[in-house]
Amino acid sequence: MFLFIAIPLVTVFVQSFYVTQTVYNTVSVETCTPSFPTSICTTSEKSVPVMDKDNNPVTKTVYVGLDTYKSVLETGKVAKLISSGHFFDIFSNIDFYKALSFTLLFTLITLPLVLGVGLLIALAVNNVSKRMKGPVIFVSLLPFIITPIIGALSIKWLFVSNGLLTRVLEKITGHEISVFANSWSIELLMVFYRVWHVAPFAFVLFYAGLQSVNKDTLESAIIDGASRFERIRYVVIPHLMPLIYFVTLIHLMDTYRVFEEIIGFASQAHVISLQWLTYNFLEPDDTGNRAISSASASSMLTMVGIIILLAPVLKRTLRDQKKG
Amino acid sequence: MAKIQLKNICKRWGSTVGVRDFNLDIEDKEFIVFLGPSGCGKTTTMRMIAGLEDPTEGEIFIGDRCVNGLDPKDRDIAMVFQSYGLYPNLTVYENIRFPLKIRKVDSATHDKRVHKASDMVELGNLLERYPRELSGGQRQRVALARAIVREPNVFLMDEPLSNLDAKLRVSTRAQIKHLQHTLQTTTIYVTHDQIEAMTLADRVVVMSMGELQQLGTPTEIYDKPANTFVASFIGSPAMNLLDGEISDGKFIADHTLVKDIPSGLPNAVTIGFRAEDIQVTTELEGDITAPVYSVELLGDSTLISIKIGDALLIAKADKAFRVNIGQTVSFIIPPESRHWFNKEDGARIDF
Repeated sequence: MFLFIAIPLVTVFVQSFYVTQTVYNTVSVETCTPSFPTSICTTSEKSVPVMDKDNNPVTKTVYVGLDTYKSVLETGKVAKLISSGHFFDIFSNIDFYKALSFTLLFTLITLPLVLGVGLLIALAVNNVSKRMKGPVIFVSLLPFIITPIIGALSIKWLFVSNGLLTRVLEKITGHEISVFANSWSIELLMVFYRVWHVAPFAFVLFYAGLQSVNKDTLESAIIDGASRFERIRYVVIPHLMPLIYFVTLIHLMDTYRVFEEIIGFASQAHVISLQWLTYNFLEPDDTGNRAISSASASSMLTMVGIIILLAPVLKRTLRDQKKG
Repeated sequence: MAKIQLKNICKRWGSTVGVRDFNLDIEDKEFIVFLGPSGCGKTTTMRMIAGLEDPTEGEIFIGDRCVNGLDPKDRDIAMVFQSYGLYPNLTVYENIRFPLKIRKVDSATHDKRVHKASDMVELGNLLERYPRELSGGQRQRVALARAIVREPNVFLMDEPLSNLDAKLRVSTRAQIKHLQHTLQTTTIYVTHDQIEAMTLADRVVVMSMGELQQLGTPTEIYDKPANTFVASFIGSPAMNLLDGEISDGKFIADHTLVKDIPSGLPNAVTIGFRAEDIQVTTELEGDITAPVYSVELLGDSTLISIKIGDALLIAKADKAFRVNIGQTVSFIIPPESRHWFNKEDGARIDF
């Protein structure tokens, strides 16, 4: 725990307050061009990296406090946009907020879908005949077994301009379809992919939970006059509640760090996520520098986001546990 | 209030037979108990009346309606389950109110009806609790209140006392009896406990292997068991049964010679007698004379048992009666307390 979680966490936290830069020296450089009668010399000032004796650039790390956070959050730009009345431009112009809004939206849209689809599959599997159960469970679990990036790519290839499904849809509708030209259609595809990929996880847990539903209570409900839907609402769902909280917790944690979809669907041009932003900071830029402190700040902010999202669910779970 | 009729009911799962050609007329306001060992089909029969199982053959009437195709909710019944079947996420109040809410009964009447039902089972001060905060007996009372709140035509109770401890069982049993007497609702009660059957029932249905063995009042069942199965199932201890042969107007078995027997008995018979009807004596001139197998002190009486072949015969002697294990005793069976059964099929032989 300490070695693999606490130490990296603390170092990332510390790193986000420091910036490591190459030390530059300002030197006067006299440039002379041969001419007649004398050469023309101009003197200019230039910054050059200071080299150590092995001829490597000298770097120094300075404490910058919350400056990195300010630069990731672009507080100045936000203030300016708000004061000029373009509040909503924050979410399209500034990377961090663009990523935040997509990540949140993605997390909150997929959550009920995953819970709902998971529960539906579980109820369906619970009702099929014994002989069919094995194969049905296997097929339902397949999407969960597939490597996320492969899954995302295979879905993408179905929908690219010359993909199989695009061709079929074009044939049916008679219109030209380009799923990857619009931000909304890519987002839709990403949501679809995530639900397809994660619902089996919810299904397995819910299916296990369904096996321990009290049969007497279900039959009491039948006799009391509850319809199939009312039985699910009043007996099955309350019974599955601890599992629903568990799946919610896992899903919030997992989806708030959405990353594979961005890469798999190559959606950077339209939508980005917080995790992808961190990744982007870590990628070397044109000069070969990695913005490590920005990446640290952005990952700390991601973590804070997860904690805020999880707090109400954790609180509820703890309360239920105390009660039960 | 309703009569219930079962006509030629069969229940089969593949080649397994649950209930075989079962016929029964239950009178309005009657308290009827299905009694039998595990797997005898008593619960299956009740579940078919409830609509939780469909009969393979036969018809079920509640009142004048044939309810074969009806859903449980349309049969106007209420059921109490062995493990209570309460909704754990709802309070006692909401549990009792649930049938009213689901059936969209006028909500203005809910409060009054819930309180009336909960007062009848003395739950008045527990309405805000959750089922997990209640004892077993209280939970079963919640289940009873939930059953009576809707004032259905028929109550079905599936071993409602089995999960309770002995003391609670006695008090809840009395409560159920009182409740049925007050409400005058036709009640079917399933149990494997013959004491519950004897104490509660207007009539008892004794079942075994999916078939009806005997239908009668508790006294009839106790005094005139229709066959050796019923005889061995009813009473505590159950009736003693001993196989033997008739020769020269006497019943003969190991250690046994019973004189003054009725004429017309077949050769192979089984004699039956209840423990409380026998006299035990240490003088060796009774009907059965054998060494004592065990002595059990009950407080109000002493049980003396002897072993003849595989049969363990028990007699109830006075509480002051003392013998040692191994000492020889005699059982004297008064002629009016003897029951005779055909050894072949176990059927009662009446004269």
